[in-house]
Amino acid sequence: MLTASVPLHRHEADARGSGVLTPLPRDGSGLDAPDGASERARSWHRPSSLEEASAALSAAHGDGRQLTIGEDLTTEGLDRILEHEAGDLTCTVEAGIRLSALQHALDENGQRLSLDPPGDPTVGALLARNLSGPLRHRFGAPRDLVLGVTLVLADGTIASAGGKVVKNVAGYDLARLVCGSEGRLALIARVSLRLHPLPKVERTLAVETDDAPSAISTLLRSQLQPSALDVLHPGGILVLFEGSARAVEAQIAAARGLVGGSEVGAEAWDVSRRRQAEASGRACFDPGRLRETLAELGEAVVRPAAGVAYSADDVPSRRPSQSETQRLLIERIRHELDPNGVLAA
Amino acid sequence: MALSASFVLETQGILGARHVISEPEQLRVYECDGLTGHRAIPELVVLPGSTEDVQAVVQACNREGVPFVARGAGTGLSGGATPLAGGLVVSLARMNRILEIDLASQRIVVEPGVANLDVTRAVAGEGFFYAPDPSSQQVCTIGGNVAENSGGAHCLKNGFTAHHVTGVTLVLPDGELVELGGKALDPDGPDLLGVVVGSEGTLGIVTRITLRLVRAPEAVQTLLAGFETTDAAGAAVSGIIAGGILPSALEMMDRLTIEAAELAVAPGYPAGAGAILLVELDGVSAQVEEDAVEVERICAECGAFEIRAATNDLARSLLWKGRRSAFAAMGRVATDYYVQDGVVPRTRLPGVLRRIEELSELHGLRVGNVFHAGDGNLHPLVLYDAERGETQQARLLAEAILDACLDAGGSLTGEHGVGMDKACSMPRMFSERDLEVFGRLRRAFDPQGLCNPGKVIPTPRLCGEVPGPYRVHPLERMGVAERL
Repeated sequence: MLTASVPLHRHEADARGSGVLTPLPRDGSGLDAPDGASERARSWHRPSSLEEASAALSAAHGDGRQLTIGEDLTTEGLDRILEHEAGDLTCTVEAGIRLSALQHALDENGQRLSLDPPGDPTVGALLARNLSGPLRHRFGAPRDLVLGVTLVLADGTIASAGGKVVKNVAGYDLARLVCGSEGRLALIARVSLRLHPLPKVERTLAVETDDAPSAISTLLRSQLQPSALDVLHPGGILVLFEGSARAVEAQIAAARGLVGGSEVGAEAWDVSRRRQAEASGRACFDPGRLRETLAELGEAVVRPAAGVAYSADDVPSRRPSQSETQRLLIERIRHELDPNGVLAA
Repeated sequence: MALSASFVLETQGILGARHVISEPEQLRVYECDGLTGHRAIPELVVLPGSTEDVQAVVQACNREGVPFVARGAGTGLSGGATPLAGGLVVSLARMNRILEIDLASQRIVVEPGVANLDVTRAVAGEGFFYAPDPSSQQVCTIGGNVAENSGGAHCLKNGFTAHHVTGVTLVLPDGELVELGGKALDPDGPDLLGVVVGSEGTLGIVTRITLRLVRAPEAVQTLLAGFETTDAAGAAVSGIIAGGILPSALEMMDRLTIEAAELAVAPGYPAGAGAILLVELDGVSAQVEEDAVEVERICAECGAFEIRAATNDLARSLLWKGRRSAFAAMGRVATDYYVQDGVVPRTRLPGVLRRIEELSELHGLRVGNVFHAGDGNLHPLVLYDAERGETQQARLLAEAILDACLDAGGSLTGEHGVGMDKACSMPRMFSERDLEVFGRLRRAFDPQGLCNPGKVIPTPRLCGEVPGPYRVHPLERMGVAERL
């Protein structure tokens, strides 16, 4: 289990200063695995309601204790689907629900949450770690699909932001704020999400090439609308088309005309997700600089339109990094939301 | 509060005297934005030309404790850019350059004063466009769009401004500079960019923005369907969504707004229609063709008595003509009107529309409905006659409609923002604790409370005041901007 890598890595990151390399949980569930936590000296909490979560946090706040979400405080007892309005293509869930359980329930209504990271994270971990998979190409990251959240702050305050409707600009977007917050700003307790209908047909094109940048450039400049587009560096490209049978057929034919390749089964994407899960580092790059980026990378899964690469080896020059001002700003936010540093561990 | 002469001199020293406005007659130009009922004369207006200028001005404000509000084209509809008496307006009008077009990355870098439509114009020749399309897009600026997280008719499929901003340079309220995001997506750490977009100018001033460019679709098809009732049109909306079709736009007009549009611009919509739906589909040709057939079938099944299709730009603009003119056209059927902006879950549309009808009868005032049906964003137009003393009644009705939206599980505002207009309504949607947490976030960015104070979060001082009625904005009268 790599669950311990979350706090461990933070210390490493802190020691290195602002050069932050994002750790990647092998099973994608790092934040919410309670294994071994009950043996720890610190108290362990498993709230099954907002009020219990609030009580656990405010007690820690009052006693000056620290808690690590996913270790000392697990959301596994908060795993219900509170609402799924199929006609609205939205749902509201408790954050401890596993992605697979949610997808299973949505599937019965012909819908899905268009996020497919490796592993089976909870929805809370999905947001907190800003996890996405191949579908990121077309549907975005958690921050693009989250509509609202209910948070429990470290002092026990229960606060909501956003809503459950797809269009809403009232108030500050705390739902986006906690995306990527690694459990260090607040406990994500409830989440409202935008859903998509399941595609009628999905087909995958695999292209073997020693010039991936040219093929990617051709595809991105075309009017095709793939749902996923991964470079399996070196040498491969996977393209996913979704939609009606006739439209997918047309897109596959057009794509083959542009970049060649042959059709493969959906399991090809498991390779992509597995490589992403096994990657030890993440690189960010200007999408237009794909060629230069690939030249520096060893084996990697690259999402070219997003400018994100999950690689087997660390590429220091391309680590996503934060400036000093940005770090100070985040510290100020943290200080306002968690003045006693309960979640700072 | 008057600004000290030394402060004025300092700003003149930073920007040059001609970029500092202090003459009362010139200051009046900045007294309101598109929400013309709220007015205040600023003490000073400054027009910085660079990020460094903005930084220097904000640093001076921070040092002297002078409140400031950033302003783009002033087309906002919630009073987000209403000046603060005794404060500064920072107009970004001079910062209107497109800094970089990077088609290989599908990004463009612009200054905040660039007009929305000019972004698309800059890249249309290469087959790209900028997706968010607020109806004021000819004049409204990207900086304002970032502040309001602007939407538009085509956001149903393409998303809002927040989905299309990949990076900003932000001058914090203390004058510090911070870069958030860039051309690459998914930076590390909490999504500060996502918080800044839509923060209504209260967390700092954005001076450089990186936007995503979208490849123009292979095919676009527009359908117009006439129905007897809004219930029937609403059923078609549900049917389209349930059928797994995601149109790029899905708009509805009711009988009153159709009548007004006919009087104003004679779009020749189906005679006798109680509601029309405008459905726009885009994407790969095969999918668009197939979806169009399906949309026609669903509309017919739900009782559409006439369906028209447009596949070229000219025919399309004819179908959109009445919709685009709808707000301005209300002038044909009423002397005054108030534009509400509320959101309901899509499935609750028919019920909420019936509730609005009841409320309209109860208050003795007519309400026209023209709205983004696909995402449940209503724009009820409350018609009244100020000279007959109906202003207060109109406000009450508009607020009752907002309550109906919230009762249905919706939102106070879908795209116009909270600003000054709805700050006092925030407690209807958010608890005291929610608002207190919003306050904490704001304090982290702006501990001194100088950056657009009095907006978004209710304050006792603000909420004791009653704002004036809606008036036609000068830009609307000139035909430059319209309300959609």
